[in-house]
Amino acid sequence: MTDQHHIASAFDRDLESVQAQLMKMGGLVEESIRQSAKALKTRDIELADEVRKGDRAIDTLEEQISLDCASLIARRQPAASDLRTVLTVMRISSNLERIGDYAKNIAKRTEVLAQLPPIEGAAGAVKRMAKEVQNMLSDALDAYIKRDAALADEVRHRDLEVDQMYNALFREFLTFMMEDPRNISSCMHLHFIAKNIERAGDHVTSVADQVIYLSTGEMPEDPRPKGNGAPYDIDTFQESDE
Amino acid sequence: MKDNIEGRKLVDQMDVKFETRDVQVFYGETHAIKDVSVDILDKTVTSFIGPSGCGKSTFLRALNRMNDTIPGCRVEGSLTLDGEDIYDPKVDPVQLRAKVGMVFQKPNPFPKSIYDNIAYGPRIHGLARNKAELDEIVEMSLRRGALWDEVKDRLQEPGTGLSGGQQQRLCIARSVATAPEVLLMDEPCSALDPIATAQVEELIDELKQNFSVVIVTHSMQQAARVSQKTAFFHLGYLVEYGDTDTIFTNPTDPRTESYITGRIG
Repeated sequence: MTDQHHIASAFDRDLESVQAQLMKMGGLVEESIRQSAKALKTRDIELADEVRKGDRAIDTLEEQISLDCASLIARRQPAASDLRTVLTVMRISSNLERIGDYAKNIAKRTEVLAQLPPIEGAAGAVKRMAKEVQNMLSDALDAYIKRDAALADEVRHRDLEVDQMYNALFREFLTFMMEDPRNISSCMHLHFIAKNIERAGDHVTSVADQVIYLSTGEMPEDPRPKGNGAPYDIDTFQESDE
Repeated sequence: MKDNIEGRKLVDQMDVKFETRDVQVFYGETHAIKDVSVDILDKTVTSFIGPSGCGKSTFLRALNRMNDTIPGCRVEGSLTLDGEDIYDPKVDPVQLRAKVGMVFQKPNPFPKSIYDNIAYGPRIHGLARNKAELDEIVEMSLRRGALWDEVKDRLQEPGTGLSGGQQQRLCIARSVATAPEVLLMDEPCSALDPIATAQVEELIDELKQNFSVVIVTHSMQQAARVSQKTAFFHLGYLVEYGDTDTIFTNPTDPRTESYITGRIG
């Protein structure tokens, strides 16, 4: 990145504007994750409803960003770091849009869960996991603003923790369901919520990948860390013989 | 991955057409080209980009000794074409220019018929033994210039009667008629409309199957569209030379970045 201005100042304005929209979108998505986890924990149907309605603003921003990026490419033919900026903004905005959808889905399931008896400790654990993803997203967006590849790389590696939290929850929900079939309904919803957050973490990792591409011109080479575990382990599903 | 890069370098070295080392060009006291070392590859389009006065045209003209005609112009350093020094006193500049053809910014057809425009070079260089052979060269050159279908029924009409884009393709056809190995183009499209520009660019892409093409252009989009290698010149220095893809997505030098993103001119 260079600190110099474009000779065509309108080009600078267009680039700044589309990035400002992306940051606005990022802020909304962060808030959406936070609120959906809070609604789950406090069994707050009204708050969950707000999260669901709020997703429209995120979708609208994504559409606007796509249109603005198309216009930038058509009219300005961006090259080098400008080109990488436009490509990165497009990809990050679709990652953010997906994360927004996951938060919306959590809110939707929260409205169902609020009608069912609570599963002890589950909502708190899910909220902690959501908090971690929210922090990762916040750092990934910070890394974007600062063009900080090192911070982005750190975020990528933190996804492993989220995966591990998901694996632990997976086992926990399985245990609850084995103990008492009346837990199945709640636990299925809780499991989907945990999976949503885990997927949101993957999208944050992808945002971090884009920040690395933006600042270095290359995609990170080492495969991102993956915490495959419980769901892929056949022993998880077999009851002990003891 | 690394092995591939090493391997590609090796192939590149085998296909080097022009090899220049520490080239300096002076116009009297003015030092216009400073320490330029670059390998121009065969069957490849290389574009020279850079702001006005950066030396790209001067360097292009050094490749076929067009600078010889400018009083007070001096070229130093080593420039070899297929390993032979083109500034060797034994080299005839006229013969050299038959091997290294040139197309200029403004189409400059001779005030002769379309046929004679093409036939002129082959005649003076004695490339055809009879009329039939000459006819064949004219047709092949016009086909290579992507102009044959448009002019085959009016070869005796004056070349100056063609449209600007056709005239430029006529000049390209004329320069390929002497069976050159390298084609130098100095802003070949800057006097043409977008459609004619697209036709010439399409032609350049076809020409690279048989020739090494070097094009000087002020249009960075044109460089990005037509070339495989790009050299960025600034203040007489060759700042960066590399794959066009790399130059336009992730250049190494901040000056290249500034220029191609429209921050310095």
